[in-house]
Amino acid sequence: MVAVTDTPQRSLVATLWAEANWVQRIAALLALALLLAAVLAPFIAPFDSLKQSLISRLRPPLGFERYKDGFLLGTDELGRDVLSRTLYGLRLTLGLALLGALIGLVIGGTLGLLAGLRRGWAEDTIMGAVDIQIAVPFTLIALLALSIFGSSLPIMISILGIAYWEQYARIVRGEVRKITEMPYIEAARASGAGPRYIALRHVLPNIVSPLVVQFTLSLSNIVILESTLSFLGLGVQPPTATLGSMVGYGRDYMPTAPWIVIAPAVAIILLTFSVQILGDWLRDRADVRLRDR
Amino acid sequence: MTLYILRTLLKMALTLFVIITLVFFATRLSGSPLETFLGDGLTEEDRQLMIEYFGLDGSIWQQYLSYLRGVLEGNFGLSFLERRPVAEIVAERIWPSLQLLLAALAATLCVALPLGILAALYRTSWIGSAIMALAFVGYAVPNFVIATFMVLIFAFMLNWLPVVGNGTWAHFIMPTIAMSGVLIAALTRFTRNAMLDVLGQDFMRTARAKGLPETVVILKHGLRNAGVTVLSILGLQIAGLAAAGNVVVEAIFSWPGIGELLVNAAITRDYPVLQFGVITVAAAVIVINALTDIAYAYADPRIRLGKG
Amino acid sequence: MKKLLLTTAAILAASGALAQEITVGAANVSSYLDPGRDHSNVGSQFYYNAFDTLIERDHSKLEPVWEPALATAWEQVDGLTMEFKLREGVKFHNGEDMTADDVVFSLNRMYQATFAPYVVRSKDRLGNFVEAIKIDDHTVQIKVERPEPLWETLVSLQQVMIIPEEYTKALSGDPMVAEDSDFEAFSLAPVGTGPYAISEFVPGEKVVYSRFDDFWGDLAPLGEATVIRIPETASRITALKTGEADIVTNIAPDQLALIESDANLKTEGSATALFHVMIMNVNHPNLTDPKIRQAMSMSIDRDLLNEALWLGKAIVPSTHTMEEMGALHQPDLTTFEYNPEMARRLLEESSYNGEEIVFDAFPVYYTNGVLAAQAIMEMWAEVGINGKLNVTDKWTGNDPEMMARSWSNPMYFADPFGSFGVMWAPEGPSEGAGRFNTDAEYAAMWERFRFSADIEDRKAAYAELMERIKQDPPVLPLYRPFESWAMHKSVNWAPQPGHIPYVLDFRAGSIALAES
Repeated sequence: MVAVTDTPQRSLVATLWAEANWVQRIAALLALALLLAAVLAPFIAPFDSLKQSLISRLRPPLGFERYKDGFLLGTDELGRDVLSRTLYGLRLTLGLALLGALIGLVIGGTLGLLAGLRRGWAEDTIMGAVDIQIAVPFTLIALLALSIFGSSLPIMISILGIAYWEQYARIVRGEVRKITEMPYIEAARASGAGPRYIALRHVLPNIVSPLVVQFTLSLSNIVILESTLSFLGLGVQPPTATLGSMVGYGRDYMPTAPWIVIAPAVAIILLTFSVQILGDWLRDRADVRLRDR
Repeated sequence: MTLYILRTLLKMALTLFVIITLVFFATRLSGSPLETFLGDGLTEEDRQLMIEYFGLDGSIWQQYLSYLRGVLEGNFGLSFLERRPVAEIVAERIWPSLQLLLAALAATLCVALPLGILAALYRTSWIGSAIMALAFVGYAVPNFVIATFMVLIFAFMLNWLPVVGNGTWAHFIMPTIAMSGVLIAALTRFTRNAMLDVLGQDFMRTARAKGLPETVVILKHGLRNAGVTVLSILGLQIAGLAAAGNVVVEAIFSWPGIGELLVNAAITRDYPVLQFGVITVAAAVIVINALTDIAYAYADPRIRLGKG
Repeated sequence: MKKLLLTTAAILAASGALAQEITVGAANVSSYLDPGRDHSNVGSQFYYNAFDTLIERDHSKLEPVWEPALATAWEQVDGLTMEFKLREGVKFHNGEDMTADDVVFSLNRMYQATFAPYVVRSKDRLGNFVEAIKIDDHTVQIKVERPEPLWETLVSLQQVMIIPEEYTKALSGDPMVAEDSDFEAFSLAPVGTGPYAISEFVPGEKVVYSRFDDFWGDLAPLGEATVIRIPETASRITALKTGEADIVTNIAPDQLALIESDANLKTEGSATALFHVMIMNVNHPNLTDPKIRQAMSMSIDRDLLNEALWLGKAIVPSTHTMEEMGALHQPDLTTFEYNPEMARRLLEESSYNGEEIVFDAFPVYYTNGVLAAQAIMEMWAEVGINGKLNVTDKWTGNDPEMMARSWSNPMYFADPFGSFGVMWAPEGPSEGAGRFNTDAEYAAMWERFRFSADIEDRKAAYAELMERIKQDPPVLPLYRPFESWAMHKSVNWAPQPGHIPYVLDFRAGSIALAES
């Protein structure tokens, strides 16, 4: 969906904009704004997001008593600027979520396709792995993996990437099975089309829509998973912050200094909200095209 | 049919075996329980003593084999920390988690199904948009954000609801909402989308053309067919929830559930508890999945058991 | 008629007393309860209400004042033997009488330990104790290997609280033999002689104390006290507000103002007899030069950490010492100081070339732990140390790769031996873990500090040890954290100065509930 709002083909953007209803337009603008904020964080952040000031901890945002000049959204438990941290957190969170969801999509989609098209041991093995992944609480897998491999950004991305691959795999396989039982696929097969041709020509276009929905869902799931790990103190290494870890570490201050939590929480909500509306919109469009054909 | 059931059972056993093996080795790679249990540093001599005490002497393969032997005999060992049978410990924790899960599930079904159907039927009007916007909000707010804010408002400020444990029905309100928020959002969306898919299908047009009343068309044909997708999604979600046992919600509401137990066991490297907990949860999820598969097959006449 | 009224009044009074119940919301509840093998900060909360030692300390006083408890009198028979007269008529919670056999059994389970967790625990502090022997039904002797300067201290330890022999042995297997499984079963169904019996114990979740009416001393002021686990800080404070808890533990300094602002609530706190410390691996290839470790230590502005994170309520020590240690409290020593210029100079003189120095920290275990660690990274950067924080739940203290990490060093008993001594003895846990070295000279100083009968000599020896630590530092005590409890105003309770850290003392004189 990022690609869509960013695309240079003006006509397409114009078409999309014309089609959209007001909720979708707002979501599109919001997504664009968040994306820009994330990309431009180093330029627009008013302060160094890591710069501590122990003597001015927990200062409230603009408009409250004890406000510290310039620190619009207040300061956190180490006197760092909440606004700057939120911007950098957004940047990192968005990056982690996109990378993670993409890894999940590629792994899960490929394996799901394989399982759906190839029956037999390949399907059994893949679905067996899916069953295992579903059956073992992922928080535990993540905890064990973090203990074994240590916590670093690449490890974190890998963990977030494999967190939801099985959902893609299950959905893709389910759709593939449904589609391959349709009469026209049987016909194509009868006329000598190979599995690869069937996959690319008939199956892929049909699974785009559930994949898009799943992608948007897993984006927010990943954000939430990352913050759950932060909640347990095992997310991204401090002082680096993601939106999730800001909420996770800041939660003890909820009753006393809620602004530490509110800024990143609102950012998370806006991010997932807009991403999902856009995903849903794309899905509807894809469906319309499917039906038109 | 018998063959199908046998095959399924065999597959379940195999899955469990692989899980047991993976968890066994992963826990041992993840670190040693000794210092967690004794707090301070240990001299080498002390380490040896404690290694023997916990039964961690001998090669990892010997330990693995003796663990498997124990599993076959139904003996899953003693917790390193509590020194009592792990089955006892896990059993204590399963029920509260299950209670919360069932409450959340009931809330989800009651709210999400009607909302999803409505959203599909009134797709073009403001009702549909409003429902979906709500669903998106529900999905966008992480459960611990809902939980923390609810605690702040309804317990801390207003003093209306209790926050500790699972003593009375009032204790269920906030955790249930926190747990089901995301579920409701997801299920509403899936119900709507599945309904939309179904509404566009030929057999719906046929049904309408036959002059059946709209309600009948929707409930009989629409829901039944949409049910296939909704069921599979629901199965996934329950499985996910049952498995996760939601550590965060349990921590915030001091809920004596399995999620917290397992995370603590992972952090303290209480191998026997972690292993048995994972086996139990995995077995439960595998059974739920098998049931979902059967229900899926049953609900969708196009998918016949024999074709798997 | 008059008699009837009196009886009614008595019943009313009794039921009034019964109504004296409280609920405590604790951040953590023990997974087992055995005073012998436990010395965790979580565990030390729970034992004092239910168990007694032979000698008791007046916990309302900072300096040691010894009082009779299960022993009514004690005297040294010879240089290596102390004789104890046991109190008569003492009952265990299960109704059995306490005898000399129980005392001998309890002590020897530690002194001559065979159960691995006891062996490990007794070695670091009870190594000098040889055995306990029964003289007659009410007399017991304890024998030591070398003359012991800390008799009373080491007989009043949590680890040598008295438990029933027959009950314990009968818990599993052969009822006449003390097997390992007996001790394991005991830790799930603990029985002692204290003013409260543990009437319910759900490991990791809940401990319920009930008044023990056959207690030998002043009866417990509460009819029942329940400790439940509430792991989240915000939930603990909320539980206090909703009335689900009467007292809650582990309140961070940042939360104090919030609680004090509520007219129904108050806080009590003290600088706990425990140091949050930074340990450094003297054997790490990049840190073998003591100047680097001195710089790591001198660059940390502990007073600023105290001001910022603890509202100035923590205590920043100049050396490894505590007020509780009485004659051995030596605040005039300066072993640790903040001196960034000196740190820079030392770095320049040293072999340091900007290598990354990794600082490991537990994620949630210590209050303000991760915050302090992040601040320390900034302070290091100020003087030119390239620090990197590694938050991990893994204990890395025995990993040769470990460079520096956060840890705590509690006062297990009120003597430098009970704090510094347990961790940094020759062949002790720090040396055993491979991150600290001692030599013959250090061992000789240690001998004088540990066993000298002359207190001035002990002090001098300890000062020499501190000088060694200063020259080649393996540790920096950051501060004594300020630990707070929050409670309803109707609860009259405060941590007593004579206890080891975290003890929840609900005995007579320690807690009272106002009539509301």
